[in-house]
Parts: sequence; C-alpha cells; structure tokens
Amino acid sequence: MSKIVEISPTTRHEGHSKLVLKVDDAGIIERGDWLSITPVRGVEKLAINKTMDQVPKIASRVCGICPIAHTLAGIESMEGSIRCEIPRDAKLLRVVLQCANRLHSIALHNILILPDFYIPGTDTKINPFTPEEPVRSVAKRIQRLREIGQTIGEIAGGEAVHPSNPRVGGMYKACTPRAVTKMYDLAKEGLVLAHEQMDFMLAVISNMRKRDWTEVGGKQIPLPKTLGYHNQGVMAAHPIYASSNLDENPGWDPERWTDVRPWDWYMGEGEVSLADPSYPIGGTSPVGTKVNPQMEACTGVPLYDGAPVEVGPRARLVKFKNFDEKGTWGQHIARQLEYTDSLYAMINALDEYNPSGKVLADPIPQGDGSLGWAANEAPRGCDVHLAKVKDGRVLYYEMLVPTTWNFPTCSRALTGAPWQVAEMVVRGYDPCVSCATHMIVIDEDQRVVAQKLIQ
Amino acid sequence: MLFPETVVAGCGNPLFADDGFGPAVAEELARFELPDTIKVMDAGLGGPHFIFTLIDPEQTKRLIIIDIADFGGDPGEIRDFRVEDLPAGSYRDIHSWDLTEPLQRLKDTIDITVIGCQPERVTAPDFEMGLTEKVHNAVPRTVRHVLELLGVDYGMAIENLRNEGRQQETDRETCIGEG
Repeated sequence: MSKIVEISPTTRHEGHSKLVLKVDDAGIIERGDWLSITPVRGVEKLAINKTMDQVPKIASRVCGICPIAHTLAGIESMEGSIRCEIPRDAKLLRVVLQCANRLHSIALHNILILPDFYIPGTDTKINPFTPEEPVRSVAKRIQRLREIGQTIGEIAGGEAVHPSNPRVGGMYKACTPRAVTKMYDLAKEGLVLAHEQMDFMLAVISNMRKRDWTEVGGKQIPLPKTLGYHNQGVMAAHPIYASSNLDENPGWDPERWTDVRPWDWYMGEGEVSLADPSYPIGGTSPVGTKVNPQMEACTGVPLYDGAPVEVGPRARLVKFKNFDEKGTWGQHIARQLEYTDSLYAMINALDEYNPSGKVLADPIPQGDGSLGWAANEAPRGCDVHLAKVKDGRVLYYEMLVPTTWNFPTCSRALTGAPWQVAEMVVRGYDPCVSCATHMIVIDEDQRVVAQKLIQ
Repeated sequence: MLFPETVVAGCGNPLFADDGFGPAVAEELARFELPDTIKVMDAGLGGPHFIFTLIDPEQTKRLIIIDIADFGGDPGEIRDFRVEDLPAGSYRDIHSWDLTEPLQRLKDTIDITVIGCQPERVTAPDFEMGLTEKVHNAVPRTVRHVLELLGVDYGMAIENLRNEGRQQETDRETCIGEG
C-alpha cells in the first residue's frame, strides 16, 4: 500500500520548496510532487504603468541569484515590444555579462551538489569545505572561477549584484580598451581553470553513475541507473544567450505556451504516513502531517505545446548540440560542458567588441502596445519575459522563470527512484525558487539572533 | 582581487518596503568619493552568494553590513551588532547559503559590523516600493554612522551632496524611482 513522505524544505538550492512523495512498500516513488512554497508576489501587477526602464530593475529584485538574467530578459522584452534593435557592441557586452553570470552559477552549483558525490575510488562523500586535499584545491579553483565570473560581470554590468549598465536601447556605458583587456585576461585564466574543473566534475559524476548505492541518513540507498529520467520534452531558445521576437528565426513561440493552475496538476489532500527522523537535515515531516500540494503550490504550471518541458543546460545541449544523455547525470554532465562553452562565447564576444562603438540605440521608440518577448537562457534554464509597452509605459508584463517550467517536469522525473534520493533529482535542475525575506529577529534578553536569509 | 580592504554591503529587497533600507543606504553612500580601499555595494538579495562567500580574508579586513533588524526598538532606530551576537549554527539556514554561516566563518579573521535598522513595515510576500518615513529618515543618520566607522569625515557636506546627487541622477532610473 502506498505511503506518503514529505521532505520540507528541500535543501542546497535557492528558495523554499518541498517534496511530497507517494511511495510503495519498498520506498520507491510512485508519484512525486515537487512544489514551490514561496508565495507568488505578482510582479506583473506591480509593473503596470511603470516606465519601461523601471520594470527590468524591479524584475531583477525578485530573486537573489538571477538578477542578471531577469535584468536582461526584462530589458529585451521591452525592446521587443518597442521594436528597438540595439547596437552590436551593446549586444556583445550583454553576451559577456550573460556568460560571466553562467560561469559563476555553474561554479556555485558545484559546491551545492558536491556533498551528494563521492571521491572516486572511495566511500567518502565530498565535503567542499574540508581543508584536506584533494578537495581543498578543488574548492579553491571553484572560488577562483566564481571570482572571475563576478569580476567580469561587474565590469560589463556596472555593478556586482544588480547590473546597472544594461538599459532599454543598449547599455549606459561602453567598456574601455583597458576594461576589455582585463576581462579578456580573466577569461583566459578562467578557461584553463574551467577545463580542469570540468574534467574533475565529469570524473566525479562518472564515478557516481557506476555506483550501486549512496549513503543517505546512515543507510545504503540503491541508485537506479535511470535516475531522473522523464518522458517530457525540452525547451531552449538559444545555445548561449537569448532569443526575442525581433530575431529573424525566433527560438521561442508565445503561441505554444499555455498555463494551468496548480490544482490541475498536483496531488490533493493527504497525510504523511512514513517518516524518517534520520534523514538529513532534521528528518522528514512527522507522521500525521497534513499535505495538500494542490493548495500549497505557489506557482502556476506553464506548458509548451500542452505539456511540461525541461529547461536548463541539458535542454540547451539536446536542442542545439545533439546531446543524448538523460536524467540527473545527463543534467550534471551538460552543466559542466557549459563551463568552457560560456568562456569561449565570452572570449569571442570580447574579440569582436569595439570599445569605440556605439552602445545605445538612437532614437529609442516609445512603443505602441505591441507584444514583445525575450527568452534568456539563464544558467538554470529559459527565462521568458513578455511585455507590452505604449508611450514608454508598461501595459502588460509577465515572467516565466526557469524553475517554474521545471517543477512539473522534475515531479514526473521522480517516479521510480527511492524517495531518499529525490532531492538529488531536484538538485540536478539547479533550482532557484525565489525566496521570501525573513527579517533578523533579536531577543534582547537572550542575545539570540535569527538572521534574515537574504536570498 | 574582487574586494578591497573594506566592504560595505547594503542588504535587503526594495520591493518589500522597509526591507529596502540596506540598498537605500548603499545608494546614498555611493554618491561619496571614498578611498579606493573601500567598496560600497547594493547587495540586494545576493549578499551571501555574491559577496560573503567570496570575501578573501587575506585581502579584506573589514565588512560592514547594513540591513533591517527587529530588535524591539522604535522604527528607524539603528543599532550595531557583532557577529559574536549570532551564535554559530543557531540559525543555520537549511535552504541554501545563508548569511550567518559565511559570517561565522569570517568573523575571526575580519572585523564585521552589522548595522541594523528597526523597520516599521516589511510587506513580504506582497510588494510595496519605498521606505516608510521613519526608516527613510534613518538613511542619512546611517550614512553618517558608516562614514564615522570608516573614519571618513564629510561633516556638513552630506546633505548638500545628497541634494546635488539628486539633481545629477536624472539620467539613471532606479527601481524605486518616481514612476
């Protein structure tokens, strides 16, 4: 008879989400629901009647980890609506920014997933923070790659976290030849490290694929060879950067997108009937906990051609490079392959970039209310923004963020896996569930501080 | 190196009313010409991933974090906190990278001050842009406090610079600008 397990919250990814899993007597998932428990904030409503310059900046604040993708997708959806072609050199700087962001993101994800993996040839899991070799030098390399991504992003984007240089019509400022040289030097240093890091990660992933079990909460859990497999399609708009309605051959089609409500998709009311206090971190939810994914899910379910799709590195490689690996390992492999892809694309863009070129369109049209869209290939997948701008003001705005596409697909990909490894499947998507804020709460008497999670 | 000797990070989300306090202070501070050894950043929501976990203690000696904090004070009241006030692991974030953990790792090698402002209203999960009056009024005080901590003396010039800054900033929109 089926039992229900709940893992809440899921860990080592951005934001707040949970897993509700219906499992058989052997603990194999019959049906899994992975859902966001972050309340939807309605950025779309807030955007209405704001200026086309403000809205991408608002969009960049909805998430702590994807400000670059949201800024670029937001701006390009506005440009799509007002039919504004930006100068070539502005586009090249955006490509550099995009690739810098991806480089940082892959390296950060390496740290988040490494604790699931083993040092090849041993039964020792990897602790990325250990001072012991060989992990210590890997961690240092990851840090350097992140620094390189961040520094290049700051130079091209104008600011470290929320890029201030991109704007509707192009970029505020061109980069000087000196800045270009600095970015180029960093990218070349990064390329060597990225090759090494990619090789290391591929070896670790390959080792994991050969293992029959993994240790979770002190138990040996069998690892299926088909971990994370699903029958859904993939969606990607561009191999590296983005596509918009201004492209000659657009990589995305708004006509093929529909949305269904969470209650059409997720399981109904239930009660947890299987609990494991030894599950990291802090055990699963206790028996008797009420669950109701239909009501708790905080996002709609976007469909492409009437079905959920996978977005992300594997989707990009399947669509544009005939990549044929599947499941969780396929996703991890694809992400590592993007290490060098992002650096080569960055170096090529810097090669082509002319520091004396124009970076701002002139004039910038103010829009007639036509629909524009931009599908930015964010590190974790296709980030689609749609907009209608009239006389410089936003009439309509919609964000279809990557992990929203992946929720229903990943839910299906959980079937057939032991429930204890469900989080490994989730982490394969490098999810970013944008997160609510939590304030610092300070109790004077006990001098205890709950630090706000700044996501 | 990504960060210089001193890093000032304004943390929070301007889309949740007073939660935008940190970025607002960072924006004001960015108007000052500060020494090259100081970097002021609008960390937004990205402090942990983009700043705190990337700080190299061999390079950076001081970190000042500006944020909101509910310490039971009056709205707009500012107070300094040390990382020693944040017990290691007590508030560990199990979702992802958190603020406490990287700070706990850094606190023995660099000097960290958290400047907390008591908010009046944090609207999460609903969006509301703009600080409440009391918290808005705390911004210049906090700027002065940060400058004091940094040992930079701008004296009475602060108000004037703010006014000039407002006039100069017309070419760049911010997400909490007029709209």
